[in-house]
Amino acid sequence: MPESDVEDLLRRLAPQVLGAVVRRYGHFDTAEDATQEALIAAATQWPGDGIPDHPRGWLITVASRRLTDLLRADQARRRREDTVARWVLPEHWLAPAADTAPADGDDTLILLFMCCHPAVSPASQIALTLRAVGGLSTAEIARAFLVPETTMTRRISRAKQQIKDSAVPFGMPAASERAGRLAAVLHVLYLIFSEGYASTSGPRLHRTELAAEAIRLTRIVHRLLPEDGEVTGLIALMLLTDARRPARTGRAGELIPMAEQDRSRWDKAQITEGVALVTSALARGPAGPYQLQAAIAAVHDEAPTADSTDWPQILALYEVLMQLSDNPVVKLNHAVAAAMVRGPRAGLDLLAGLDADQRMTAGHQLPAVRAHLLEMAGEHDAARDAYLAAAARTTNLPQQRYLHARAARLSDG
Amino acid sequence: MKYMILVYGSQQDYDSMAGRATDGRPAWSAEDFAALGAFMESFSKDLAESGELVDTRGLTAPVHARRIQLRNDVPVVTDGPYAESQEVLAGYWIVECDSFDRATEIAARLTRIPGLDHHRESFRGREVIDVRPIADSRADLDG
Repeated sequence: MPESDVEDLLRRLAPQVLGAVVRRYGHFDTAEDATQEALIAAATQWPGDGIPDHPRGWLITVASRRLTDLLRADQARRRREDTVARWVLPEHWLAPAADTAPADGDDTLILLFMCCHPAVSPASQIALTLRAVGGLSTAEIARAFLVPETTMTRRISRAKQQIKDSAVPFGMPAASERAGRLAAVLHVLYLIFSEGYASTSGPRLHRTELAAEAIRLTRIVHRLLPEDGEVTGLIALMLLTDARRPARTGRAGELIPMAEQDRSRWDKAQITEGVALVTSALARGPAGPYQLQAAIAAVHDEAPTADSTDWPQILALYEVLMQLSDNPVVKLNHAVAAAMVRGPRAGLDLLAGLDADQRMTAGHQLPAVRAHLLEMAGEHDAARDAYLAAAARTTNLPQQRYLHARAARLSDG
Repeated sequence: MKYMILVYGSQQDYDSMAGRATDGRPAWSAEDFAALGAFMESFSKDLAESGELVDTRGLTAPVHARRIQLRNDVPVVTDGPYAESQEVLAGYWIVECDSFDRATEIAARLTRIPGLDHHRESFRGREVIDVRPIADSRADLDG
């Protein structure tokens, strides 16, 4: 049995095993450690010994035994310290449940809701989701986020403590809060994807595993909630964006803007799937932000050349999107679309409205877009200054190299 | 008439059965543990065949218990409320038979668990098995 097959199987089973153990014994925090240890034991033994007849049952048994050991040690230690683990029963546990989810459902969704609980900080939500639902080890997550393993360990234990303190019961959130909680889950999955697709720091854009992992997890959510338009929109958005990845960097790892990408290198299968998904979602009802962003990505992906891009359509979609969200990046992209339809001046005028936005002043995006539009308008000196200003504001080396190259090209001309 | 047969064990007993020695308590060997399993299986099978078995269950290790108690009128949960050596309910049989004496006869067979011979010392003075008549209705309790 090749190791990669074992790994795929383990990653798929990880949330099911954790779900089964927590459902049975509680102790989400300790059960998560026990499940990790069971996964490690399997990863060590199975490639040599073969996969057991009932791999899921094997993992649940090993994880449950390990949980017993960990709890036993923990309780013995606590007793020596003369403190006993006590927690006040939350008020809502005393009333009948508002609605009861079927117990035989897939626990992956419940785990996602737990990991993305509002009591947990966003950075910890991401880390815990990758570990508890994605089945990644702390070391792997630390590597993907370019932080020391000890930092990631602390981030994960803090998240687990926050969940423990919140005494959130193991079950689906009440119907009244489910939409908001699902939005938080989708946001975390989107952040994981973005982190992999456009890493915010570091020398190489090689963290594509994170994008692949985000797609894998979002596919699971989509399988569990096939009727949810925003889940469908998010998976479509990821596929349509990720489809361009092969053409996004050159031989030396340099960034290539979409207009200059070799479109024959785009992943056609992913585009076909993404377009079908977003089309089906849009047909079902009012479109949410992920569906609109997916629709925009689809318009880009379906254009055979950059010049044949349907910019009026993209501009119209951004205008709908701006009504739904106050995101400055959306406004930035709207300005680009406006420039492509009505000329660079129209875009530059819209950018002026973003200068005062606190959320934009630290990043490189605003000066980078301004530089492009100034270049389109033929204002080369101003464009060069803007490219250099943008380069100074990013820590990502490929992005810096791209921006410096654009600036240099204008100096040469 | 229904009776409940109750057996007890501490976290330390669970540990030694799981193959881990604790203070003064040796771990059970694989043979002893297998013999215990075989004994329990045939014990319950005999009861099922005679039609006297209603239900039987073993409980998981005491470390997994939760206790709820009121403290200043607030319900508080304690995880793992037992001391390691504290004897707590470990399993039960519910039998339906003709008399209390017959239920007692059934329960007495449990003192002949084979592996216990090797662990006589650690169980000395603690081999307790209870038999309790189950109330058939509220009327039984009111009486």
